[in-house]
Amino acid sequence: MLRIDPRDALPIWRQIEEGVRRLVGAGGMRPGRPLPSVRDLARELRVNPMTVSKAYQRLTDAGVLVVKRGEGTFVADEPPQLTRAERGRALREGALRYVSLAVTLGISRAEAEREIGAAWDGATRSRGGQR
Amino acid sequence: MSDEAAVLSIEGLVVRYGSRTVLDGVSFEVPRGSVFALLGRNGAGKSSLIRCALGQQRAAGGAARLFGRDAWASRAEAMARVGVVPEEPDAPTDMSARELLAFCGPLYPRWDDGAARSRLERSGVPADVPFGRLSKGQKGTVMLALALAPAPELLILDDPTLGLDAVARRALYDELIGDLADRGTTALVATHDLDGIEPIADRVAILHGARLVVNESLDALKGRYRRIRCGGSNGSFSWAPFSATSAADRDWGREAIVSDFTEERFEAFVARSGSSNVEVGALSLEEVFLCLAGGAEAQP
Repeated sequence: MLRIDPRDALPIWRQIEEGVRRLVGAGGMRPGRPLPSVRDLARELRVNPMTVSKAYQRLTDAGVLVVKRGEGTFVADEPPQLTRAERGRALREGALRYVSLAVTLGISRAEAEREIGAAWDGATRSRGGQR
Repeated sequence: MSDEAAVLSIEGLVVRYGSRTVLDGVSFEVPRGSVFALLGRNGAGKSSLIRCALGQQRAAGGAARLFGRDAWASRAEAMARVGVVPEEPDAPTDMSARELLAFCGPLYPRWDDGAARSRLERSGVPADVPFGRLSKGQKGTVMLALALAPAPELLILDDPTLGLDAVARRALYDELIGDLADRGTTALVATHDLDGIEPIADRVAILHGARLVVNESLDALKGRYRRIRCGGSNGSFSWAPFSATSAADRDWGREAIVSDFTEERFEAFVARSGSSNVEVGALSLEEVFLCLAGGAEAQP
């Protein structure tokens, strides 16, 4: 499930790009699976279609997605894996964002860690099943 | 089809009402294919600017060029290429949506009646009820359907969501996004609904104090604004190398909004401040708007 936050510091096209990379990398979107059309995803996320188009273009250039003419956009058969360093960096950035939020909200460390556990359980349970 | 880079150019536009100057030398361009958000407080001159852009009002100075030609001088030709949803729906109150479509269609060289009808059906607008008896949201849908039916190159929406409930607002954005996806329409949207336009706009202009205080891409604008919080440092303190647009002391430390954020400046700031407790957060478009247009108006 792709989520975006227009208020985030990251531009929306980067949020879409990273979200799709994450879903593909984590196995939530399997090779060969079709992606929603630009039009449908733009309406679903309620964002500018050009933004979705830009994210799809970058993902296609990076070999994560392939465009089959007349059929649509699909997850590539062998999407490139993130390098160890890239994965580490992405995880650290995400952790920093989460911890900043927790600190801002005045959440205790124990509570923040519990939320991670719950989110982990939720995310791994739903993976593979139909959403 | 023309392929000028700018669909609409506003060049040094001046608008006065009596002794009051509403626009004082405003210039910007709406690039082809962009969704351009025109923001400003009530009375900031958004509607005057749109009337000038449509050739409906003569400016005291400067010019508005539509598709490269003076909007005032060539209003009639340009109108077939522009779809407008005015702030106040201005269709005849005794005509039904069906009658309005039948009336307007022959006036345009291109007219997609089927698209307009399905747009009305999707939104559940009754085709045979007089316009004057429709709800505010239904009127907005009819105006949008009429504006989009001629497949305009430029769509101008003047506060399209004003007075709409959440459902009608969502339906309007859905229709707009669908049209952007299908045709790559250029859109100029004057609005107060900052949360609604934020994910859709790619360029933003803000009118304040009769002038344009911002005209840049939304990514760039949001990229340079940040709220920085810095816990409990004492002694001499400065926000350098940032120039803080607003700064305040709190009981837990200091807070500022900066308009010139970069990662490099931030690293330099953290190194200089010596504080281990520095937080940085993004601002929403609404918060940026409040920074720029929230204060008293500077009189030109």
